[in-house]
Order: sequence, then structure tokens, then C-alpha cells
Amino acid sequence: MKQPCLISTAGVPLRTTLIHCIHPNAIESFDTHDLSFWLINMADPKAGWDAVCRIRRDLRVGIYLRPIVYLIDNATLSNEIYHAANGHIRNDNLSQQLLDDWSSKLEPINLWIEKLEQTKALKDTNIALRMLRLIASEEREITPFTTTHTISGYVYPILVPLFSTEDTSVFETLNFLLNQKLLTSNFVSKAHFCGHCDSAFLNFKETCPQCNSEDIRNDEIVHHFKCAYTGELADFRQGGRLICPKCEKVLQHIGVDYDKPSIIFNCNHCTHTFQEPNINTTCYSCGRTSEPENLILRTIYSYNITAIGENTAIFGLDTLFTRIMESKLHLTPIATFKEFFAIESSRIHRYQVSTSTLILIHLVNISDIYIRMGHRAKEIFEELSVIFQTTLRTSDVITALNESTFFVIMNETSPDHAELAVERLRERITELLGSNLNFTPRISFEILNIKPDIDLDVTLEEFQEKHAD
Amino acid sequence: MSHWKNFKKNMLIEDILTFISELDTLQVLAYFWPFFLLDMTRYLLLDFIVLLSYIPKRFRYCWKYKNARKKLYKERPLVSVIVPGKNEGKHIPSLVHSLDYQSYKHFELIVVDDGSDDQTPNICRALEQEGLIDLFIRNDVRGGKASAANTALTYSRGKYVIHIDADSHLAPDAIETILLPFYLDERVGAVGGDVRIANAEQSIATRLQSIEYMKSLSTGRTVASELGILRIIAGAHGAFRRDILLRLRGWDVGPGLDGDITLKIRKLGFRVVHEPMAVCYTHAPNTFTKLARQRYRWDRSIIRFRLRKHRDILLPSKSFSFTNFIASAENIFFNIVLDIKWWLYIIQLIIFSPDVLVIVFILNYILYLTANTLQFFIAIALLNNTFLRKDYILLLFLPLIPFYTGFYLRLVRTYAYLMELFHSVSYHDKWNPWKVSKIVKKERL
Repeated sequence: MKQPCLISTAGVPLRTTLIHCIHPNAIESFDTHDLSFWLINMADPKAGWDAVCRIRRDLRVGIYLRPIVYLIDNATLSNEIYHAANGHIRNDNLSQQLLDDWSSKLEPINLWIEKLEQTKALKDTNIALRMLRLIASEEREITPFTTTHTISGYVYPILVPLFSTEDTSVFETLNFLLNQKLLTSNFVSKAHFCGHCDSAFLNFKETCPQCNSEDIRNDEIVHHFKCAYTGELADFRQGGRLICPKCEKVLQHIGVDYDKPSIIFNCNHCTHTFQEPNINTTCYSCGRTSEPENLILRTIYSYNITAIGENTAIFGLDTLFTRIMESKLHLTPIATFKEFFAIESSRIHRYQVSTSTLILIHLVNISDIYIRMGHRAKEIFEELSVIFQTTLRTSDVITALNESTFFVIMNETSPDHAELAVERLRERITELLGSNLNFTPRISFEILNIKPDIDLDVTLEEFQEKHAD
Repeated sequence: MSHWKNFKKNMLIEDILTFISELDTLQVLAYFWPFFLLDMTRYLLLDFIVLLSYIPKRFRYCWKYKNARKKLYKERPLVSVIVPGKNEGKHIPSLVHSLDYQSYKHFELIVVDDGSDDQTPNICRALEQEGLIDLFIRNDVRGGKASAANTALTYSRGKYVIHIDADSHLAPDAIETILLPFYLDERVGAVGGDVRIANAEQSIATRLQSIEYMKSLSTGRTVASELGILRIIAGAHGAFRRDILLRLRGWDVGPGLDGDITLKIRKLGFRVVHEPMAVCYTHAPNTFTKLARQRYRWDRSIIRFRLRKHRDILLPSKSFSFTNFIASAENIFFNIVLDIKWWLYIIQLIIFSPDVLVIVFILNYILYLTANTLQFFIAIALLNNTFLRKDYILLLFLPLIPFYTGFYLRLVRTYAYLMELFHSVSYHDKWNPWKVSKIVKKERL
């Protein structure tokens, strides 16, 4: 049975002789062949966390993907540190039995690592792939936690130690994986971030719309039914009671003899009276003040791995269809594609002598190829790329939104001719996959005559929504 | 057939002429006493005599107005224009636009939305953001017009407060002109502005109201003002000294809050005057049904406020004022007592002169039409250049006025008086929120 390895953090005495123990400096040279999990002594949380980062930032899959369990005494761990590990064991309860139980529990992760090692994937340098593999090995939803320790305000604890700098790299990498359809997302929350430094720590303040002063006060307006007197609540306060300044009656019950129809703000700086104060935010990190509409609004998601993601995690990003297409067809980046579209649209409109066509293609069940073929999917994708290459012309502009969605501008081509090309593409792909794999591909496409009134962003968005898996 | 009709017509004319020729002075009074003894004396002769003095005086003392204007511009006080209203958003842009062209610029505009359930808050908030409304207060819960006006008063900062109905708009010199009486006489506490019909061309009902406003509002209130017995400042257009309003802690619960506050100002010993040259245009009810509802509400207030709330004006007391007494007594006499006189007159005719009923009716019509025509021209003389040439078309509608005032308005008024006297219906008025009405009824305010 595989055994854990205890990382002895500097200056902290170990009280157990049950397991093999190493110094953090020895992590990189440690033979992980029989390692079930890293047991990190968190008596000194900082030193322990350094060890976690050291493990997760190592390039070897056998080291950085290996499960981590904390050995804790009485030290209080922050949320993001606590949830970065696969579990924890209390020092008082430490026993061989407990260690064995944890080894058994974490065995599926180790089996997954072994499977990966069989594909000769020994060292990972690509951060996106490392993140994907870590998520895949964990086989659990990656959920965000709120924190005051990072300026982003949210952390994905298990992913934090992968990155050496504290910036938006985690969010960007997750977004990349999501766009490649390697992850799926579930809505968790929305959060505002500073437009200058990306900090989530913002002070929302009500300010005077006239002088922008924060020195404002608000009070409720009180209406006394009997005499129609209306004034601020403060005008009515006398001792512990509310007494109408006009008719000197004691106000009894709200809704019965008086009500509070609204709230009014008064600026102590310029004496302006108003009901709708401006809202401003000041960033705790960079100190800049801005209006809410100038903040960055992000949706915070939790993530799960997709079928394509699981295969890509095993066989690497190089097996991605888009990667292969890119090398064969020189895929244009989406931003450049949009520029091409704008130019082509203007050209057509200016000269009005020819037509060009926009084709939107969605390969619906491409993920099934990954599942069935594993790392050999790469060979199939190379064949598919050749079909794309021979069906489309070198003058056509092609871009990929993700693994399964492609957009093509066919210059000087009418929609009818474009349809012929797409049909040819469909026939060839069907023939390739049908005859070799007995697999029926599902391909959706739309053909649009390029006109100036087409809003490309809206069109692409609608197509995506329509063909969302 | 037409020959028979002509014959009948000639017969009737002959009968009328014969009837007139046989009348002696006593008979004239016996048959037409309401006209000769009351209406002609009070509404035609008195108006004519007072205006005969007022109109030349106005020209004669134009230097006084010039000086008052100089004083106004020298002092340049801040004026708070307050506009309380519910569901009046559609009228607010034209009101704001008319304020934009005012000759007197140093004013703040405060609009209070009394719990509208239409687009009013959005319209007004947008105008506030554009800087066209200085302060817009949205009350989520409706509290009634008095509370909305009082909310505006609470946040007003001007030396003078001009109350304008949300469905009204002002002539370009209205603010400047309505402020002049304050600079002509320091004892003036409130000034009523002239109110004209903005939608006069919309229907017969609005045409007739236009004539009525010229007679009873422009002329009537100018005369009352000259006699020192003006008893009401229209909510549609009235200017007040803010310190007096604050002393009174604002308006009391309506309906009839305009007349109520005017009497309270008079009781404090201040003069209340009417300024016919300060013109405001308001939207009048465009159907006779809507108009009847409006007048039903207005007419009840005379019972509630003159006879009940401000009864003390009529009684001897330390603070007794003769002009206040006359202002209230005249109103009660000519509106309530003389309303009864009509029914007595009709009964008298039916009992004592049933054979000449038609002739007396026709002659009464001719008398009142003549009186109305004369009143119309008196009003034109008074309004001078503020009377627009296009309004001469109203002459065509003058023949309808005797029916309008003699029957339609009288019926509504009589019904309103009876309902208020015997059932105190104003306490159930939907014009106020039910919670307010409940308290006001309980306290018999």
C-alpha cells in the first residue's frame, strides 16, 4: 500500500515516528512512486503553506497533483488555506489506521495520476494544462470562497498555490478553459472589481449630486394626517415621543394617524436637498474613486470538468481540435476575424458588385470523439483538419470560438455556393467518421449573406445560444 | 306649417312687448327682483363702479408699479415655485418650459409627487437631472394635496412661495407681476394670480368656463380685492410670503384648502389681494360631467370652511375684523342664501304667474344675457393687453352662459350644499386618501 510522506516544516518538532518524513527542500527530489499523499505539518501555518505552494508549483505530475492532507494542532487556518488541501488530520488523533484510511480514500486520485504517467506526461509547464489536470484529478467541483486575504475577494483554494503571483491569472486561466469547453460553469455570485487595480475591496458611498460631498445625512419625511403638516422626523421628536409641531398632538401609530411617505437627503457641505444621492466607490487598495458603472462586474462561477476536459487533461492540450486546426489552417484570432468581417462588409457595400458569405459551423458531438478515441482523437482531428483544408480555400478567413464552433468568411462567394461547400464538408466528415469509426457526426450550420446591417457580435452570440450544448 | 310657426312667433313677441309695456316699476321688481335687486346690483353695477375706479387708477399709478418692479429687482429675492400633484407628469414639461421663459429668473422649482402611479416620477426625475427642476420629491405614499404642498414648503428657501397647480403654466411675466403687490404694500401677505383656461378651444364646456373665469375670477376677484374682501387665492396660481406660511405651518387638509389658508392669512391681519395681470393658464375639465365633479368638490368647501371651520369670523371677538366679516358674510350670503332665493323665485312664478311663465323666462334670459355681455366687455377692459384677440370667439358662446350659470352650475351647487349640510360628504372625498379622510371626519376638522 502506498504511504504518505510528512513534510516537516522548518523549526517545528515532529511528534510522530509513524511515517516517512522529509524537509520541504527535499520535495523536488522525492520519489513519488509509492506516495499516497503529502502530509503537511501546519503547526506553523506560513511554513506549511509554503510547502503546499512548493508542491503545487513543481512541474512533475507525480508531485504537484498528489493529494495534500494537513496535520494540524491548534493553529487556526484561513479558509483559503484550509480548503486548498484534500483534508486534515488532527495531530492528537494521528495513527497508522487513520493514515491508511486517508490513503484508501485518496486512492482514486493516485490511480488517475498513474494513468497520466502512463501517457508519458511527466512534466507540465503549461499553466492551463496544470490547472486542468489538477481539477481533473480532484474529481470535484471547484468552488470559490470569499476572502479578505487577496484583493480579488474570491479564491479557488485548490488553485491558489499553482500561481506565484496574486493577480487575475486564476480567473483568466479558468476563463480560457471554459471557452475551450474543457470546463462548465455554474453561477455563484456577481462581484464588482476596481477598474484600475482589480481589487474587490470597494467602499460604496452615497454622495451629494451637487457637490459630491460624502457628508450627507438622511431623514424620513413624516406626514401628520390630522393637520397635513409634513416635516422631517427630527422635527417631530420631543423626548421619547413624536409630537406634531403644527397641532401639538402626539403621534400614535404609523399608518393610523401619520405615515412616512419618503426619505430625504441633506448635504451638510452645500445644503443641497435631494432624494437620489449619487453612488461612488473608493478602492481600498489603490484609493481611486469611481462611479459604479466604471467598475468591472464579474460573474463568479464554480467549475466542473467536461468530457472533453477529462480527455484533454489526460492527453494534453495538443490533442485539442482547435490546436490542430490552427497548425493546418492558420486560424485567425476572433478579434482579427471581426476586423476582416468589418472590412469585407464595407467593401461589399461600397462596390455592390459581388457577394460574400459568412458561415457559422457547430460540430455538435465532437466531445464524443474524445471519449471514444482518447489520445488517438488527435489522429482523427488531423484527418478532419485536412477535410477543412481541402474544402475551404486559402482566401477564406477562419476562426474558432472554441473546440466545436467555427466561423468562416467566404469572399466572393454567394450563399448558394457557400452552401455547396458546407454540404461537401458535411459529406466528407460524415464519410470519414462513419466509415472508420461508425460514428455519425452532427453538424449545424448557418449561412448569411454579408451585409452592412449584420451585427457580427449579436449574430455570433445568437448562434452560440442557439447551439449551446 | 312654417306659416303657423311664424304666426306663433309673432304672437309671442307681441305678447312680450305687451307684457313689458303694461309693467309698472313695482311689477318689474315683483317679476324680476332677483336680477334687479341682487344680481345686477352685486355682479354688474358694483363691478362696473369698482372697476371704473380701478382701471384708471391702475394707469394713473403705473409709476408705483414701476417703483415696485425696481424694488423687486434691487432686492432680487429667491422665490420658491412649488408644484404639488399626483399623476400630473404629462403637464410638468410644459410648466417647466414656461418657467424657463420667465422675466424674473431668481426662483427655485420644487415639484412634489404625491404618490403617482403613472410615469410622473420618471418624467420629473429626468427633468431634475437636466437641472430644469431644482428639487423633486417623490412621496411613495399618497398623503393628499395639502401634505404635498407642505412637503414643498418644508424644503423651500425663497422669501416668497408661489403655489402652482401641476396642470398649469405661466405667462412669461407672471412671476414678476404676481410679486409686485408685495412691493406696493408691505401689509400684503398673499397675492392671487389670474387664472385663464389653457384648453379653452377643446370643448363647449371649456369655452364656457373660459367666459366664467373672466367674469368671476378675473373681474370678480379684482373687485373683491379692491373692496378688501378677497376670500380666496386660487391654488392654481397664488403667491405667499413664506414667513407667513411657516407661521401657519402650511396648508390644512382640503378640499377647499386654498380658501382656508386665505382666511387664515386674513385672520393674521395681512392683506390679501388679486393681481389680474399675473396670468396663469390651467387645464379645465373638458366635459360637463368632469366639471360637475370638480364644482361639487369646490362648492362643498364653502359649507365646511365658511360655516364650520371659520365661523368665528362672523362672531364678535377680540380679533374681530370688519373686512374679514364682510368677506365671509358676502360669500355666504351671495352663494348660500341667494342660492335658495332662486328656488323661491321659481316657486313664486309657478304659483302666482303661471300664465306668464314663458314670457318671464324669456325676459330673464335677455336680461342675464345682456348683463353677461356687459360683464364680458368689462372683463376685456380690465384684462387689457392680456386678453388675446383669438378669445373674441368666446362672444359666440355668450348666449349659452345664462343656461350654464343659471341652471347647470346652480343645480350642482345646490346639490353640493345640501349634501354637505346634511351628510358632510366632503369628509368622504376621494380627493384625500381614506386614512386622512377618516381622521379628519373623526376630528370634525
